[in-house]
Amino acid sequence: MIVIKLIPHAVSWAVIALFLVRGFHAGRLMVIISGSGGFALGALGALVLFRLLPPESAFGIIRGGLGVSLLLLWGVAVMAAYRPFWKRTTYFEGTGFTVMCACLAGCMAGAVSASRLSGSGTSLAPYLALILVGGALASYAGAVEKRIPEWFIVGGPSLAAVVVALLLYGSSLSLRLDLFAPLTMKVMKFAHDFVHQFMESMLIPDHVFIRSNLWKYIGVLFGKEIGFWGALVIWFTPLLLIVYAIQFEPLPSVAHIRQGAERRRLLAVFIHIRRYRLIPALLAVLVLTAAVYRSCVPSVEYWDPKPIVVTATPVGDIFIPRKGDIDLEDGKLHKYLFRQGGKEARFFIIMGPSGKLTVVLDACAICKPDGYGQAEGTVICYYCKTLIPLDTVGRSGGCNPVPLAFSEKDDGVHINAVTLMNEWDNTVQTTTKVKGAGK
Amino acid sequence: MIANIIQTTGLTRSYGDICALKPLDVQVPEGEWLSVMGHSGSGKSTFMNLVGGLDRPSAGSLSVGGEDLLALTEDGLARFRREFIGIIFQQHHLVPYLTAVENVMMAQYFHSVPDEAEARSALERVGLGHRLKNRPGELSGGEQQRVCIARAIINSPKLLLGDEPTGNLDHKSTIMVMELLRELRSEERFTVIMVTHNQEVAAWGDRTIYLDDGVLVRDERANSR
Repeated sequence: MIVIKLIPHAVSWAVIALFLVRGFHAGRLMVIISGSGGFALGALGALVLFRLLPPESAFGIIRGGLGVSLLLLWGVAVMAAYRPFWKRTTYFEGTGFTVMCACLAGCMAGAVSASRLSGSGTSLAPYLALILVGGALASYAGAVEKRIPEWFIVGGPSLAAVVVALLLYGSSLSLRLDLFAPLTMKVMKFAHDFVHQFMESMLIPDHVFIRSNLWKYIGVLFGKEIGFWGALVIWFTPLLLIVYAIQFEPLPSVAHIRQGAERRRLLAVFIHIRRYRLIPALLAVLVLTAAVYRSCVPSVEYWDPKPIVVTATPVGDIFIPRKGDIDLEDGKLHKYLFRQGGKEARFFIIMGPSGKLTVVLDACAICKPDGYGQAEGTVICYYCKTLIPLDTVGRSGGCNPVPLAFSEKDDGVHINAVTLMNEWDNTVQTTTKVKGAGK
Repeated sequence: MIANIIQTTGLTRSYGDICALKPLDVQVPEGEWLSVMGHSGSGKSTFMNLVGGLDRPSAGSLSVGGEDLLALTEDGLARFRREFIGIIFQQHHLVPYLTAVENVMMAQYFHSVPDEAEARSALERVGLGHRLKNRPGELSGGEQQRVCIARAIINSPKLLLGDEPTGNLDHKSTIMVMELLRELRSEERFTVIMVTHNQEVAAWGDRTIYLDDGVLVRDERANSR
């Protein structure tokens, strides 16, 4: 199973290595060695992180590295678009720069690939196997590169675009490394906070008569879509800048050539080369699009059972047995629905890694009540795609599901119906009313 | 010593059982104007099509401008025709819905990139500066042929092929076209191969070869005629 999971990462790394070899002219062997070395370093680094730190911190560090690579791509794209700088500078040349780039790309690819092994214990063997495969793939990519036609030119910005796009694609395959979903959340939060602060600073009166009309328009900024589209802009803008920089790169002067046909022929050659140089950048756009798709439609199927309708005793006690048709101790999330007086409330019960049962609302205090699903040691908020580690389910705050008071006796869980309805009203329904579209 | 731009050895072209060109050995030095004469079906156009890379020989060897045409792929042949050959046809083959200048620019487009100023200048060279925006239907036969000449020379070919270029023209227009070709050749120094029925047109060349039933029967230099 793990081997199947690693296939897309292996292919990504092979393609990265191929582009590195084609993109850098400093020497095939040097690029392969430094890339493979970086890959080994990244894989072993990931192993150390998973051994020393809790999984969330280890994933957070690797995700941070991916975020930095996206920021670097932004830098490269802006420099490429600002042509005079790119033409003047000599920083991006030389053996040292080549080795550094190949090593860094390999390191990130190794870390992302190795993160898929995090569930297979802390044994060194799978990591060593991964390193060997990584080295073999880099060598193979070097051999394949010789067969690629000469016209397939990979310029500096295009190379950066392809490498970062493939790294981000690799990360989108893992829920805990995915960068796009957190990005949408950050944008959504930024829009919310910005509007909030703006409204406060501008002292726009929160008058009872204009309030509803005003919110119709401002509510758009609080929607889920603002996060998605904002993240798309952040995600694709560097690539579009690179495509723009290549497409509108000035052609060399051919005015000194007397013969018209020769002059035009040279111009045509330059135009063709410029067009070929667009191919890797456009390929990167495709790969990043695949990453967005993978992030929005993850291949992981969430455990999301249909809520079971429960009733309360005349004294308002909801009882759910530990064992019965449903085993509350199976480590899975179990959803329930309670109806009273035309209102309804959802909650779920889950046994955490510590072995204790936890009862929480199927909603958090800040998002639209789209509910939660369970996958890979986490529960995920369907609205904002935030992953909540199982060991923190039951704690309040942020996008964590709101904890619910309960007691365990008679070999089951007792919940007070009034408490449940009050909690639901106070958090979910109140939040929805006030905040309109969501956060 | 002037190098041969065309060199054929045992050049043969058969269509099934019919042998249109029997083993032919011809050398054409660079810059020469070669007229090819013969009656219908003698193999003139077959020879021209082979030399121009429009057709492939059945046997023999064919080298044009140092390129072994038999060794070239279809793409290689297309590049060879694009960069090396200019062709003037009897039937003009101008695009009827494009203006004169656009017809010339189309040749530039397939060669490299269009350049309107250069296309205008080429038409001015052939005396059509006042007919730039006219479509072929609005031009006389002689004028259309001059557009063809502008189109053929716009990409500075090393070899200009003419397949009965004056076949549809009256005597006055024929003389005008031939004088124009001679003038352009002296400026551009390209080699000319002109297939014709007309003895008078053939006489404009430095040399004339006569084909009969696919066989070279006579090879005459202008000063020996």
